[in-house]
Amino acid sequence: MKKGDIDPPPFFKTWTGMYWLVLGVLAGLIVLFYLITEAYR
Amino acid sequence: MSKLDWGVLVGTIAFIVIYGVWKTRHTRNMQGFLKADNTERWWMMGLSIMATQASAITFLSTPGQAFDDGMRFIQFYFGLPLAMVVLSITAIPIYYRLKVYTAYEYLESRFDLKTRSLAAFLFLLQRGLSTGITIYAPAIILSAILGWNLTATILFIGVVVIFYTVVGGTKAVSQTQRLQMTVMLGGMLVAAVVVVRLLPEGVGFSEALVVAGKMGKLNLVDLNFNPNDRYNVWSGLIGGFFLSLSYFGTDQSQVGRYLGGETIAQSRLGLLMNGLVKVPMQFLILLVGVLVFVFYQFHQPPLYFNQQQADKVRNSDAAPTWQKYEATAQEAFTEKREAALALVKAHQSQDAPGVAEAARRAQLAETARKSIRAEAQALVKAKNNGIDLKDTDYVFLTFVTQQLPRGLVGLLLAVVLCAAMGSTASAFSSLASTTVVDVYKRSLNKTASDQHYVNASRWFTIGWGTVSIFFALFASQLENLIQAVNILGSLFYGTILGVFVAAFYFKRLTGNPVFWAAVLTQGIIFLLYYATPIAYLWYNLIGCVLVVVLAYLLQPLLRKAATE
Repeated sequence: MKKGDIDPPPFFKTWTGMYWLVLGVLAGLIVLFYLITEAYR
Repeated sequence: MSKLDWGVLVGTIAFIVIYGVWKTRHTRNMQGFLKADNTERWWMMGLSIMATQASAITFLSTPGQAFDDGMRFIQFYFGLPLAMVVLSITAIPIYYRLKVYTAYEYLESRFDLKTRSLAAFLFLLQRGLSTGITIYAPAIILSAILGWNLTATILFIGVVVIFYTVVGGTKAVSQTQRLQMTVMLGGMLVAAVVVVRLLPEGVGFSEALVVAGKMGKLNLVDLNFNPNDRYNVWSGLIGGFFLSLSYFGTDQSQVGRYLGGETIAQSRLGLLMNGLVKVPMQFLILLVGVLVFVFYQFHQPPLYFNQQQADKVRNSDAAPTWQKYEATAQEAFTEKREAALALVKAHQSQDAPGVAEAARRAQLAETARKSIRAEAQALVKAKNNGIDLKDTDYVFLTFVTQQLPRGLVGLLLAVVLCAAMGSTASAFSSLASTTVVDVYKRSLNKTASDQHYVNASRWFTIGWGTVSIFFALFASQLENLIQAVNILGSLFYGTILGVFVAAFYFKRLTGNPVFWAAVLTQGIIFLLYYATPIAYLWYNLIGCVLVVVLAYLLQPLLRKAATE
């Protein structure tokens, strides 16, 4: 394994933060899409 | 098509192909040919992963699907970011630790050779067939627009992709996909802006959304749980999660993209980039489809978007019936246009009852138009020996060629061709690498030189390219193209995923029971497909769970039989 294999991701100290970013963006998009669906129904 | 469009189209495609071949002309060894020398950066892998998934079908079928069925297809992608996170945590470190060339290599170290071979075989079968569809999709565009012979068009696309994949392997695939993805995203953004600008005066983006919403096209989220409904939040989150887990974690056309990463961190970032960008990208493509729908509320659309088929009926004994349909559709359009203009006016003056009344009129006219379109479609089907030819795949293409200004037509056609080439190249490369690593090198010729295996990879690329081209010639009889690809994938992915899930998470399971559980599961999935109305996304979950459960049930029985 190269040294870079254990590098932390950009902007976060650990990978957990990066994973929460992805999941948070997904949750935000679903809420946004739900609001669009209801607003224009 | 104008000279300017030809220039843009040919220039874009030629530049990408020449660039890819030039940059990778020195590829000589297996590490370079199959894993790009492990030099890829995360953004290159992210673009490559996205370009592999975004085939021409994505840019043809998806806007057509939004035009016909609204934006609810977006829910299909909700499980994808979840899968990216799970794979970053689990699969990537394992693949890196074992230094594998293909995902299936891992199965031999965990189980046995026959389980590895079964998974590789299911992949080759599924990918070999579906790659044919990814070549066929752009071929129908070119043949429909330019009047080219369909067979010659399929051959041309297939041969160009075979050419640069044979020269540069995974490296060439990745180098070209970077440029292809840039063209695709840029092209669709431009298309979205231009559609809005083509709307009548006084109808802007917000008015377009109101019209689309009142016509039921902004149906992005459906919270109702219905296992027979293809697209709702639950099928997207659960079924889509398992489909994505299988596609990105076990399908060599995707695993091959991130195995070329410089480090685990780079590969993880590449996958997570896909998790962040994919849903917004699909939203943009579906939105373009909805905007095209709004455009056709104010401009007369053709009764049937596949002009070749429409002309066939016009030149037959059914011509008077067709003319009657066209006249009825014209009346419905006129009423709908008036209702849509009234809707916009009422919205601008904040007249809620006026909006409701105009929306009701527009919906009634739309129902009338849909009904006449259904009758026209039935007539086309009758004239094609009962083959169901949906025209939704032609909606976006028709709009592009008839409405977009010169230059942009060439750019949008380049988008479609780039998408076709990117996904097809990944498929050829992965089919060849799986055949060489998991079959040829493992079971048929174990001791040849590195150069021999590189040459074998090149020959298998040509071989699989030929098979896919052959299958593409028969793809015209399939229903909606993107659904055909997804259904085909879902039939096999659940089983393959089940094998990998058993390998990753169920340490007590051994090779024999997992192998037989996979064989039984595949049979059951085929049975479910033919005998039940269950939506195809659920096959991924059912297949995966069945493999694990059956393996646990079979394990004691097989152990007992072995000891006796």
